Parts: sequence; C-alpha cells; structure tokens
Amino acid sequence: MSDFVIFLIDAAVKAVLIIVGLVLGFAYTTWLERRFIARLQSRVGPNRAGPAGLLQPWADALKLFFKEDIMPTDADRIIYTLAPAVTSVPALIVLGVVPFGGQISLFGYQTTLGLADINVGVLYIVAVTSIAVYGVVLAGWASSNKYAMMGGLRATAQMISYELAMGLAILAPVMMAASMSMSDIIDAQQNIWFVFLQPIAAVIFYITILAETNRSPFDLPEAEQELVAGYHTEYSGMKFASFFMAEYMKMIAVSAIFSALFLGGYRFFGLENLLGGWMGPIILFVKIVASLAFMVWIRATLPRFRYDKLMAFGWKVLLPLSLANAVVTAVLIVLDIIPSFA
Amino acid sequence: MLTESVPLMQAVVPVLPEMGLLLLLILVLMHGVFSPKESRRTVCVITGVGFFTLMVIHLSVGFNFVGDPDFSGSGLGDIVRVDAFAVMFRAMILLAAALTCLMSGESRAINRRVEFYVALIVAALGMCLMVAANDLILVYVALETASVSLYIMAGFQRDSKLSSEAGLKYYLFGAVTSAILLYGLSLIFGFTGETNFSRLGPALSALTANGSEGVFALVVALLLVLVGLGFKVAVVPFHFWTPDVYEGSPTPSVAFISTASKAASFGLLVRFFSIVWPAEMIPYWAGLLAALAAITMTLGNMLALVQKNIKRMLGYSSIAQAGYALIGVVALSDTELGAAAVAFYMAMYVLTNLAAFAVISAVEWNTGSVQIADYAGLSRRSFPLAIVMVVAMLSLGGVPPAAGFFGKFFLFSAAVDAGYTWLAIIGVVNAIIALFYYLTVIKVMFVGKAEDESRYTIRPRLAVVLWVTGVGILLMGTLASPWWRWAVEASQQLTVMLP
Amino acid sequence: MSLTPLHAIFALMSLFTVGGAVGVVLNRNLIYAAMYLVLSLFGIAGLFILLEAPFLAAVQILVYVGAISVLITITVMVTRCVFCKEPPPRQLTLVAVMAALVMVTLGFVIMTRFGGLTPAADVPADSIEQLGVAFVNPQAYLVPFEVASILLLGALIGAIFIARDDLPRDEEAVGGDDHA
Repeated sequence: MSDFVIFLIDAAVKAVLIIVGLVLGFAYTTWLERRFIARLQSRVGPNRAGPAGLLQPWADALKLFFKEDIMPTDADRIIYTLAPAVTSVPALIVLGVVPFGGQISLFGYQTTLGLADINVGVLYIVAVTSIAVYGVVLAGWASSNKYAMMGGLRATAQMISYELAMGLAILAPVMMAASMSMSDIIDAQQNIWFVFLQPIAAVIFYITILAETNRSPFDLPEAEQELVAGYHTEYSGMKFASFFMAEYMKMIAVSAIFSALFLGGYRFFGLENLLGGWMGPIILFVKIVASLAFMVWIRATLPRFRYDKLMAFGWKVLLPLSLANAVVTAVLIVLDIIPSFA
Repeated sequence: MLTESVPLMQAVVPVLPEMGLLLLLILVLMHGVFSPKESRRTVCVITGVGFFTLMVIHLSVGFNFVGDPDFSGSGLGDIVRVDAFAVMFRAMILLAAALTCLMSGESRAINRRVEFYVALIVAALGMCLMVAANDLILVYVALETASVSLYIMAGFQRDSKLSSEAGLKYYLFGAVTSAILLYGLSLIFGFTGETNFSRLGPALSALTANGSEGVFALVVALLLVLVGLGFKVAVVPFHFWTPDVYEGSPTPSVAFISTASKAASFGLLVRFFSIVWPAEMIPYWAGLLAALAAITMTLGNMLALVQKNIKRMLGYSSIAQAGYALIGVVALSDTELGAAAVAFYMAMYVLTNLAAFAVISAVEWNTGSVQIADYAGLSRRSFPLAIVMVVAMLSLGGVPPAAGFFGKFFLFSAAVDAGYTWLAIIGVVNAIIALFYYLTVIKVMFVGKAEDESRYTIRPRLAVVLWVTGVGILLMGTLASPWWRWAVEASQQLTVMLP
Repeated sequence: MSLTPLHAIFALMSLFTVGGAVGVVLNRNLIYAAMYLVLSLFGIAGLFILLEAPFLAAVQILVYVGAISVLITITVMVTRCVFCKEPPPRQLTLVAVMAALVMVTLGFVIMTRFGGLTPAADVPADSIEQLGVAFVNPQAYLVPFEVASILLLGALIGAIFIARDDLPRDEEAVGGDDHA
C-alpha cells in the first residue's frame, strides 16, 4: 500500500474515533449532568433505565428518534433544515487538532494519538469556534418566530463579544509555549501546568468557553423563562436533538481544549507513558470529566446573567483584563522574568 | 533579539509627525473622557494648536534632515521616504488640519464633539503617510486610514439627512474604488513579487522589456490603480460623489476633504507615477491622464456654471481644479517641473479653498444659508469676509495678485515644456470659462442687495483662519519665487534613488 | 501532467469560491446571499491551505467567516423586515456585461502573465514566525502594521459615534452655542 493510502486510512480511522467518542460522550454527559445536578439538589436523578440510570441516554435518543418532525409553515425550509447540521459540524471538527495521546504502537504500526497536529492549531480552534455561531443565528432566523430570532441574535452578540476575550486568553499559553501547535503547548507543560503560571488567562478562558457553549450562567440564548428556549423553540425531534447534541459536544470539546491549554493535556508528569502510551487518553478523559463536572456544578450554583450585565461583563471586564494579561505576559517573557518554554 | 536593531533616531525621525499625531490623538481622547463638559469647548483649540506645533516641528526637523540618507526613512526599511517633497505635502496637510480645527469650533454640527477631532487626527495621520509612502502596502493602509476617517467626517452631522447621505455616498463609492485600487496593486505585486517603489521600478521595466504582453498587463493594472486614485482626487468618471458630499457634509469637513485629502492624494499620485512606472509605460499613462485632465477640467467647469449652492459650486470647482493639477502629473512624463508645479498648485489650492470655506462657514453661522444668492450685500454686512472671499475666488480663477495665477502659470508652462501644448491651451480656455462663475460670486457680494443688511459677527478663531489664508494666498501670489524654488528642489529629490 | 488529488481539491475549492460569489450576486434573498458569501470565503480559505499558507487560511476563516460575515448576516436580519423574503431591486444586464468585460480582460492578463509560472521556492517551515517577525521589525512592516491598528481605532470611534442613538442631550441640542 502506498504511503498516501495508509495516511488516508490512518486519518479516517482517527476521525471516526473522535466523532464516535464525541457522540458517545454527548450521551453520557447528559447522564452525568442529570445525575450530578440531582445530587447537588438533593434529588436522585434518572435511575430506572439500567444500573444507575446508565441506559437513560439511549432511551432518550430512542424517544427523540420517533418524535414527529414539525416545521413551521413560514419557516425557510432549506435553512431551517440546515441549521442543526451547521451547529453540529464545528463541535465535531474542533477536536481535530487536539492530541489525545503520544506515540503508540498498534500491531506494529506506529502512530500518534491525534488527528492533525497542525502548526496553527490554536488559530484553527479559534476559527472553528467563531463559525459555530452560524447554526444558532440561522436557526433563529429560519424559524420565523420572534423568540427564536431574539435568541439567535442574543447568541450571536454574546459569542462575538466573548470570542475576543477568549482569543486573548489563549494568547498567554501560546506565548509561553512560543508555538501555536497544540502538541507543543502540551509539551511545554511537562513540568508545570499553565493553569498555575497563567491563572488569570485560565479563569478568563474558562469563563469564555462557558459563554461560547451557552452554558449557565451564560445561557441567555435559550433562556427558558424569557425566550421559551430561544433559537430552538420551533425545533422538534431529531433536529432538536442535534442542537442539544451540538451543545454537549461543544462542552466536551472545549473541556478537552482547556485541558490541553492549561492542564497539560494528555500528560500527567510522565504517567502518560504507561500502558505503552495508552494511559494518555485515559488521563485526558479524567481531566475532561472533571471539567464537565465543574460546568455542571457552576450551573447548579450560579443564577443567569441579565443581558446587559452579560455584555458589560464581557466588554468591560473580561476584554481589558485579558488584554492586560496578554501585554504583561509578553513583557515578562521578553524581559526573561518568566520563562518561555520554546 | 528578534530583529536587528535600528538606531532610534533613524526609526523615529521619518515618522515624527505621525508619532506626534498619535500623542495628540491620545491627548484629545483623554480630554474628551476626563475633562468636565464646560471645558470641552477648548478641544478645537487644543487640537488646532497641536497640529500647528507639529507642523512647525516637522518643518524645522525636516529642513535639517532632508537629504540626509540616514533620516529619509531607510531606517524603516524604506517603507516611508521622507524627502523635501514629503515634507512639503505633510506641512500642507498639517496646516489644513490646524485651520479646519479652528473652523470646526464655529460649526453647529461639530462644535466640541471630540469624535470629530479624533477622525481629523486619524485622517491627517493617514494622509501624512500617504505622501511619504514608498511601499504598496503602506500606500493602501495609509489611504484607507485617511478615507475611513473622512467618511466619518462627511457623515458627522447625524441629525441631517443630507450629511448622512453624503457620508454614505462617499463611503460606498470609496469602498468600491479602493477595492479596485487594491486589485490593481495586487496585480503589480503579482507581476513582480515586490511592494517597494524603489525596487518596483526596475522590476516592472524588466516586465515591459519582454514584449507587448507585459505592457498590456501593466496597462490593466494602471487602469485599476487609476480608478482608486482618481476617486480620491475626483477625476471625471469617478467624480459623482463630489457635489453631494460637498453639499451635505458639515462645512469644516468639506474644507478638510477638499484640501488636505486632495493634496495628499496628489502627493501620492505624483510619487507613484514618477517612480513606479517604467519608461515604456509613459505614453500610456501620460496619454490617459492627459485625456482625463482635459475632460475633468471641462466638465467640472461647465457643471459649476449652473450651481446655485456655493458648496456645490465649489464641489464642481474642485473637480475642475483636480483637472488642472492633473496637467502637472501629465507633464511629469517629460520634466520633473511637473511635480514642482503640482506641489505649488496644491499649496495654493489648500490655502485658497480653506479661505473660501472659512467664509462659507462664517456666513452659514450667521444666516444658516449656503445659497449663492444669500451672499448678496456681503461687502456691506462684513467687509473682511467679502475681501477674503474675493481673494479666494480670484485665486481659484487664477487672477494675478492671488496665488492661483502662478499656480496655473507653472502648471501650463510645465505642460508646454513636456510637449503637451494642446493640454495647456485647453487649460487656459477652461480657466477663462471658470472665471465667469468665480466672478459671479464676487458680483453678488458687492453689487447684490439683501433686504436685511445687518452686520455679521466673526468669531476670533475664524478670524485667525481668515487672516492666515488670506495673507498666505497674497504672499504666494506676490512672492512666488521662494515657494517655487522650494517646490523645484522637492521635485528633484523625488526621483533620487537612495544607495 | 497527471491529475493528483490536489487538483480535485483545487477544483472543488474553486467551485466553492466562484460558485459562492455567483450565488451572492444572483440570489434575491439577502440571507441566502450572505450564506453564499460564507461559502465563497470558505473556498478562499481552502485555496490558502493548498498554497501551504495555513495561517492565512485560519485567519481567513476567523476574520471573514467568523466575524465579518456574521456581522453582515446580523445586519441583514435587523435592518430589513426580518422575516420577509422581498427581493432588493437590481439591474442585472448592464452589470453582467461590465463584469464579463472585466473578467475577460483580467483573465487574459492573468493567463498571459502567470500561465506558465512554476511554483516559487518551498514555503519555509517557520513561515509563521517569519510573518510575525516581519510585523514587528522596523525594517519590514512595522509601520503599516501599527497604522492598521490606528485605522481600526479611528473606524471604531467613528462607527460608535455614527451608530449610537443616545448622544448626551445637551450636546445634541446646543449645537455651537458654547459662547452664548
């Protein structure tokens, strides 16, 4: 077989693995969220389908599959149908540049765990998150419903506003590692995680990813109480499930990215080399679950922002803070006060 | 560490005015944010004095360093080229900005809104770089910096439909033409792989040397570039925005757009055409520009004849003036006196149009009108205003005691030198036609009678503008030779290649 | 010259770019036109990747698709009647003739000038670092880079001034009477 064919098969297998992992992860993230939030609220949560309710996601999926698919008469048919897909795609592809392990060997075939380690990985992530907004805004418009429209516009304004702070927060680890490649950034954290060296950037980044994924306390686009679920009000059945899925897959994806940028990714001080390198994905999995649990915890704890406060917080607090952090980091690196791990 | 070090002076002196403008920008912004409302009226004086100081500093530094290759911009990778030509045009731009500031304190549309002065400073910064730009990338960035601010200034009076229309029209035309310009620049870059003017010249002549194909390709690029620059100076097929922008925009904005913007664009045009195009291209661009100049002059003057609104009339007049100045660029094909003539003409034009618009804004302040008919009896209502207007109109018309006479004289003689006698003749005929509508204004002011002939008040700041421009025009018109010698020296430095 | 997968990708990306652009012009529904614009911009990003310029590709998507087109979409949504599909007026024939003329001329120039060109030297591995250094090197593009930021600042302030609808009352009303 030629190298090119091997390369294609290699990439295809990894891509399928990532997608399957994300979809399965989505199913069990919903389970995690429901169980965990139930505990936080002194309830039990879903526990009937399977042991500890582990089959609950499958039951939900089945239910959604068989629901009637309704489309409003005035809806723009093409865009209405396209919007859920447009929302899901960025969530599925964003993990392409995040390595989830080091070198492994499988039946004598050497490969790296990770789809594509491109040298502009960070930029790729920012670019893909920036297009995620289309699904939401198009869904809002195509539904021909003013609540949906409001939700779509809110989501757009929110995502655009928080994207800036996110990009600037990412700059800190990029400058520390002197590279935009995700694997270089992970390698630079072998001895100490960037979350300790760049706590402000880490906090800002975590806040902005909550906003980018429309998670509480930034879940204004789908605020049930004011917008009757916002941009996906008019959606039902599998199309609704796609939005739901996209949101949870985004949560997983950004958790993985957060782990890679600030928590050392798949590395844990050499432990990742155990089991012939297969320990790496497990470590990353633990980190992702921890981050997801943290998101659920936040949801159970914090009330929703008011819309103007949300915007003011993004533009007047996060943006200047992340800018200042980037400037200070740059100056300190140039003056050799903090090391750059180039 | 990352970059080889450059002596600070070499990196700073070439862009001294730009750095000064940046400081001024910060100062004005801070003033707008932190000073109490009552003291905000001083912003026009602060900005104006700032511009004026920068001009004086720039001229004194410029005279000391001009010709010194170390301080000509080579410290900045030859992206800017600061020669006497750039110094001269930058001085014009800064002076125009300073006088515009004093004028805008007297405008109801602008007054003490800090945003106007921010736009003015950014525009002036862009223009200062335009006239010194020696690299396609800087050309485009500087041009856009200037343009975007001018769009804002044109549409600044938000409660006026005319002003909003002016801003939108200017913006839409500008955006499209600058995209076309960018396409032309990218073709030039694509042909050669170079962006620097000094290296573009040789690279492009290598291109034309290998046959007519290369020449054709360059002619296409030339056309695209001309669309963008033609829009900026309001040359005829791209002039449609001019009357509407002149009519609708607040008067100080128009004063700045019609003077500084035109001067900066001509500065860029002259530098671009005298360095970049190889000799094989001369018949093409010179022929094309000559035709454009002839059409522009004629059409501008014809349309100006029938205008009732003085701002609109000056709009068409400025189209015609661009046509005259283009004669100098055409003459550049054969003699560098063309560049000198353009420089002199622009200096006189900046002063003259500022004088005219200062009078217009004084009349607008007192009567709220911009119709030529309402200038009736101006000589009795405010003699100084009428006198300055007479000087300005005579200068625009090219009548001797005013600077315009020498401006046109140098232009036409450069054209004759370059072998474009027919163009000079068209220019002279046009100048005579144009006299008609300039003299009409004078006639209305002195002969016309108004029902109410109460006296006008002239605010002190505006008086400064009237004095500076009026005296300046007469000075340039009577003692033309030192200015002309300076312009000739400047034009000679234009084509000097740095080692 | 044999066809490689790269040719197929190039053809696809060109189709996106050109087809998207045609869609923008011909579509009477502005939202659809905006979406075609997005498609076209994606195609350009793909072409950048084929040119081994991943940085430009990522920036293309980040800036043009992720920011500018989103704003265009929102602008379309909030300015016209939001849900109606009423077409804007247009004059197609004249524009088509002009466009064809320009295309033929430029096509001729580009084919004759660039038709037989061979690719330049390989893209250096550290091209992104070189780009970054060029932006901050006074001997390279420091001046245009900084001027671009001033341009954005000016545009930002101007846009806010033009667009905001709550100028402080006294300033809106007084006009110029600060001497009175």
